[in-house]
Amino acid sequence: MKIIEIKNLHKVYNGSSVSVHAVNGINMSVEEGEFTAIVGPSGSGKTTLLNVIGGLDDATEGSVEIDGVKINDLSSRKLTDFRMKNIGFVFQAYNLIPVLTAKENVEFIMHLQGRKKADRDARTSELLKAVGLGEMMDRRPSKLSGGQQQRVAVARALASKPKFVLADEPTANLDSHSTENLLDIMEQLNKEEKITFLFSTHDQRVVNKARRVITIEDGKIISDERK
Amino acid sequence: MRTNLKLAWRNLWRNKRRTIIAISSIVFSVLLASYMRSMQEGSYDSMINNSVKFYTGYLQIQDTAYWDERTLDNSFEVDSELQNRIKEIKNVSLVSNRLESFSLAADHMKSKPVMVMGIEPEAEDQITNLSKKIQSGDFLKSGDKEVVISGGLAKYLELGVGDTLVMISQGYHGISASGLFPIKGIIKHPNAEFNKRLIYMEIETAREFYSAYGLSTSLVVMTDDHYRVNHIKQEIERILPEKNTVMTWTEMTPELLQIIQSDRGGGIIMLGILYLVIAFGMFSVVIMMVKERQREFGVTHAIGMQKRKLASLVFIETLFIGFIGCAVGLIISYFFCLYFFYNPIPLTGDMAKATEIYGMEPYMFVSMKASLFYNQMIVVFIISIFITIFPISNVSRLKITKAMRA
Repeated sequence: MKIIEIKNLHKVYNGSSVSVHAVNGINMSVEEGEFTAIVGPSGSGKTTLLNVIGGLDDATEGSVEIDGVKINDLSSRKLTDFRMKNIGFVFQAYNLIPVLTAKENVEFIMHLQGRKKADRDARTSELLKAVGLGEMMDRRPSKLSGGQQQRVAVARALASKPKFVLADEPTANLDSHSTENLLDIMEQLNKEEKITFLFSTHDQRVVNKARRVITIEDGKIISDERK
Repeated sequence: MRTNLKLAWRNLWRNKRRTIIAISSIVFSVLLASYMRSMQEGSYDSMINNSVKFYTGYLQIQDTAYWDERTLDNSFEVDSELQNRIKEIKNVSLVSNRLESFSLAADHMKSKPVMVMGIEPEAEDQITNLSKKIQSGDFLKSGDKEVVISGGLAKYLELGVGDTLVMISQGYHGISASGLFPIKGIIKHPNAEFNKRLIYMEIETAREFYSAYGLSTSLVVMTDDHYRVNHIKQEIERILPEKNTVMTWTEMTPELLQIIQSDRGGGIIMLGILYLVIAFGMFSVVIMMVKERQREFGVTHAIGMQKRKLASLVFIETLFIGFIGCAVGLIISYFFCLYFFYNPIPLTGDMAKATEIYGMEPYMFVSMKASLFYNQMIVVFIISIFITIFPISNVSRLKITKAMRA
């Protein structure tokens, strides 16, 4: 079942003197349960593609359909709501809320969804245990290592039970041990809970774990391999 | 909402120093504004008190012709029932008869035109505390046939307690008035002009001297709440006979009111400038608060927080700063001013002399009127609400990808 379907996607950044065609006519789809890595050199358009798929940036042309919903047509408010319910985000720089503890960071999105406390507590505890941080729930991000913060970010991304997770260079700031650990967790979640992951990465270890690798260059897909 | 409050509160303290500086700037601004206004209003209260206590009273009931032509011929007979009904009006603290006129006062060598005030000594003392101003001798009592004269006059005429004063004047309906009056006491009148030429006499003695039996030129009405003066006036007007009129102190001394109003206008301009300084100080803090968190705003919006909620979060943070600053400022201002209310700063040198010339005590008085304090708090709080326009507009224009690159 297709979760993401992209048709003729273009994204052009108009600078003061020059226009950059960051995404140039991409057509692709992602099936439920995939573990996909988008690779390519710096400036190839990986992050832009992920941003447009996640509704964080507008497409200049073309369409992005998620689970049958054309997100280009949604109003800003509906799009925000859609992101909250359907998409989990993991960012390169973790981007946790610094004044909240690990537990509160994971709970935050469930607060936005208006879920009950008992439900939130159970889900938070389950997720933090799944990422190996059951003992560190009450620590603030500043008291966690980079790898631990990124694991909290993964737990946060999964808190709303999204249709898929977009992870933009999730291992770029991690050491090899933390990277292995994080990838194992994500792979396990993918296999056991059928959560769809879509990464953008430079990291060969991520590529090795991925079951599908899409390579893009100059905003175009130049290869799409399934393992 | 609870999450927003918790988040806002924690965000406030993520940069403690900045928050403390922002709150302190509001505290000191509220303190400065409150003290400035309190001192200003305190000086007006002092001016009003001096004018009202030692001369006009808060209200006067007179014959309708008296104010334009202040002679004994325009005095009136006070109905004791009317006097009692006035006393029963809410917030009226005292009603006292006066018979005012002029005379020539002399000893064996010198003479001087003087103002004679026939008073009910006990009631008048409650109004003016004149007995406390006695330099030598004693203050008057009911039935006294003696007089109390002001210090400047005593000095000019070279008279002392126990000496006799000669007085010549024109009485009611042109009857000639003359008499010899022993001096019971010498008073240092707080008003410099009055101190040169005022004589107090028991009202019955004055009525006899001027042949104005049973008459008064005015009925002085005092209140324990001078902000109710106009209301009391309306109440008196309802029961007053046609031949009488009631005037407030502002009508009797309009020049004093004008001085106060023009000075208050200047004070408000100063206050406006101070509010601008406060506004810019708070604004700079809010700009820093918003600019340094662009990435965080981008992330929270990306994961599903609506811009409206994000804006309300920043709004709450700004309100927290404004509220804490105002509340602490209000408490400190109140106790700061309260200290100076009980311990007014004495004026010295030329300033003290000038103040005394205008009939005021040489002190910097402060007013403890509640509105002076909470008004400053309300204005500063409104400023803080107004300042939230900036972060709200910033959030409403937020672009996630741009914010996350910040």
